[in-house]
Amino acid sequence: MSDRYSAQVLDHLVRPRHAGELDDPSGRGESGDAACGDVARFTVGISDNVVAEVRYQVYGCAACIAAGSALAELVDGEHLLAAARVSKDDLQDALGGPLPAGKEHALTLVLDALHKAFEDHWNSKSGEMLFAEQGGRETGGKSVVAAMSGGVDSAVTALLLKEAGYDVAAVTFRLHDGEKGSRSCCSPDTVLFARDTAHRMGLPHFTLNLKALFDRRVMQDFVGSYSEGRTPNPCVACNAHVKFHASSFLADELGFHHVATGHYARVDDGPTLARPVDESKDQTYVLWPVPRDLLSRTIFPLGEYRKTEVRAIAEERGLAVAYTPESQDICFIPDGDYRSFVRKQVTAEPGDVVDDAGRTLGRHAGVVDFTVGQRRGIGVSAPTPLYVTEVRPRSGQVVVGRKQDLEVSEVGVRDLNWFLDPGEAASVQVRYNGSPVSCTVEEETDGAWVAYLDEPVVGVAPGQSAVFYTGDGERVVGGGVVASRGS
Amino acid sequence: MIDPVYLDNGATTPLDPRVLESMLPHLGGRRGNPSSLHAFGDSAREQLEQARERVANLIGSSPGEIVFTSGGTESDDLAVFGLARSAAPEKRHAVVSCVEHAAVREATKRLHSEGFEVSWIGVDEDGLVDPDRFVASLRPDTALAAVVWANNEVGTIEPVQELAEICAGKDIPFHTDAVQAVGRVPIDVAKTPVSTLALSGHKLYGPQGVGALYVRDGVSLEPIVYGGGQEKGLRSGTQNVAGIAGLGTAAKLASEEIEGRIAHERELRDRIMAGTAGMPDVSVNGHRGRRLPNNVHLTVKGVEAESLVLVLDSLGYAIGSGSACSSGGHKASPVLLAMGRSEREAFSVVRITVGKDNTTEEVDGFLEAFSTAVAQLREISPLYAG
Repeated sequence: MSDRYSAQVLDHLVRPRHAGELDDPSGRGESGDAACGDVARFTVGISDNVVAEVRYQVYGCAACIAAGSALAELVDGEHLLAAARVSKDDLQDALGGPLPAGKEHALTLVLDALHKAFEDHWNSKSGEMLFAEQGGRETGGKSVVAAMSGGVDSAVTALLLKEAGYDVAAVTFRLHDGEKGSRSCCSPDTVLFARDTAHRMGLPHFTLNLKALFDRRVMQDFVGSYSEGRTPNPCVACNAHVKFHASSFLADELGFHHVATGHYARVDDGPTLARPVDESKDQTYVLWPVPRDLLSRTIFPLGEYRKTEVRAIAEERGLAVAYTPESQDICFIPDGDYRSFVRKQVTAEPGDVVDDAGRTLGRHAGVVDFTVGQRRGIGVSAPTPLYVTEVRPRSGQVVVGRKQDLEVSEVGVRDLNWFLDPGEAASVQVRYNGSPVSCTVEEETDGAWVAYLDEPVVGVAPGQSAVFYTGDGERVVGGGVVASRGS
Repeated sequence: MIDPVYLDNGATTPLDPRVLESMLPHLGGRRGNPSSLHAFGDSAREQLEQARERVANLIGSSPGEIVFTSGGTESDDLAVFGLARSAAPEKRHAVVSCVEHAAVREATKRLHSEGFEVSWIGVDEDGLVDPDRFVASLRPDTALAAVVWANNEVGTIEPVQELAEICAGKDIPFHTDAVQAVGRVPIDVAKTPVSTLALSGHKLYGPQGVGALYVRDGVSLEPIVYGGGQEKGLRSGTQNVAGIAGLGTAAKLASEEIEGRIAHERELRDRIMAGTAGMPDVSVNGHRGRRLPNNVHLTVKGVEAESLVLVLDSLGYAIGSGSACSSGGHKASPVLLAMGRSEREAFSVVRITVGKDNTTEEVDGFLEAFSTAVAQLREISPLYAG
């Protein structure tokens, strides 16, 4: 590493290639900010997935200007898959070797601006009502869009597919504004990290901005559920409406056959979901709403591995993600304090805490603070512990009772997604960390179903998922949402 | 390719050939240690004392008040730490401007981390210290005050006469960094009652690695370098005789030529100012009237400084980006921030500093190249809508 710029950098600085801005671009992307001292902007003209035209602008040091010029030259005329594979190392090579110390950010800056232009291109193609009508196409070819979050599971997913001979394109979704880093030139950022990971594997990487969709289908539903006395599961909502649809959109655009995620589950004939090898990581419970036609093109490579093996693979292949911590919380509430999150979005009205006979036992500050089965924070003292047995948003009442009052032996389920014949349902799981309970199912008149449990269970909360399994317990028959009492 | 044109005299000046000439005998042939008693030592000592006289002559002091150092930074550090550490123990307060060279600024920050309280004196949009604010900050426990004679970035000349008189009246030691000013502004410490004054050889057509601190008779100073007690104990270590001889010659030449130099540099400076005044979205920083005769400091909207400097370099013109000392990292200059500029503006500044040997033709050629480079970079700038 030298303190001076290479001849290539100075040449690009003095004679920049592809400088300027396209009048009517397919995509426009900007990175950095003036307070950092560097700003890069790319405009691209894309037709038939080829970068037919590219222009760049940079306000910044010589390294940034030269990097923009060299990057534009590298991607001009290339297929999107080749353009999206250009890495910091490729760019550095084009600039004659490592940049002087302290100037490496130039590579990240211009790559990020180009990738944001690609992202803008996809978003303008998909429109705001993104992916709602997305359906699967033919399967069978060895090409796959792999969703990559920046964590170890999704990175190993992409790696395993690549090693199995697939053409892999990695995609990262922008879902909400809670992600780390606002200055992409200065701070760590999930998208940048995922892009680096993909590039180190030699994979093209794309980003899709799904913030509007995620807000409407996941976050608003999350907040609304608490106001309505239900207990939402945002991962389920995301799988139902966002993640698989978006991956499938990109696969269709690229002419790819499959989509893949780093979930621990398997796809079995039907298609249906089957339990993974590592039962302690089983995610079939949150995958039930994936539409059949999308599931038919989905691959879950990690269904065949144990988590310990996945980490070992990441370490062995030298992936930086091998040591990232396990994510447990809801992704848009990183501190885990979902009560505060909900309270910021809604006005909570105080109401009464009552027993099942309707006698007032105390007051509470808002129904959004309560879910069925909750014991803490009720604020009423009693000789035996009290539990929330029902939340009544209309009257503002929170009903409490003893533990045995929580027991239910039949569960109403709506919004069903069946993979197999409902008659095959032999057990039902009603909580993320619960176990399946033997049951029989019966259809009601309005499309809802009832599960009659062989033995009563406690803590069945409206809004959670009810997932039905086959007699051998290995495959998912279908799933739905636990209905509120009386609904 | 034609020889590049040097317009960065604020960073360092070319070595005057007459200065080089005077240094050569001390770099080869008979060399003595000025502390030695024999003839070799005598000869070296003679050179030293001649140089001391010449430097003293340039600023109106007596030779005994000149301490030779390794340069401007050491002179500033010796003054700041030296004055602070020789003050009475209850005096733990310093008054320092926000537009100091890094040498004074960083030394003061160090004092602060050692427990000193510091009053940083702000400036107006031209970089000028307000004497009223300065006076209001002085306290009975003030150990020292420091204000630069002329700022190294924007070239504003501070009201040092007034500030030094105020401090003298209150018996508060006053230091000034005159590294950019010496040889370009008439300085006479007989009239301006500063306690200490820093100067440097290589801003004055002398060699790099040598400077001096003027220490007024009666001002007490703790040394920062300990050893054999050279320079009246204020700067131990065998002196850099060749360098000091060069500094002496440079000082002598400056004394003789200062009026002509000022007139020449001012003419070139004003020619650049006039030439850039016609360019869109290019503005001058620093005070218009109270200004170093060789300094043009410009904000060039929509263009980042480093890229402009390097494009101009490719066209054969050497200028400075912001301040030479702060361009290593992407940090906005504290001086410009103190003058109320935004970070974004502070990344878009360049400094052109002419010297005694520049010509009108060079300046005209520069103006043309500057205009070309700015237009080219603005065309690729996302922050400039021309």
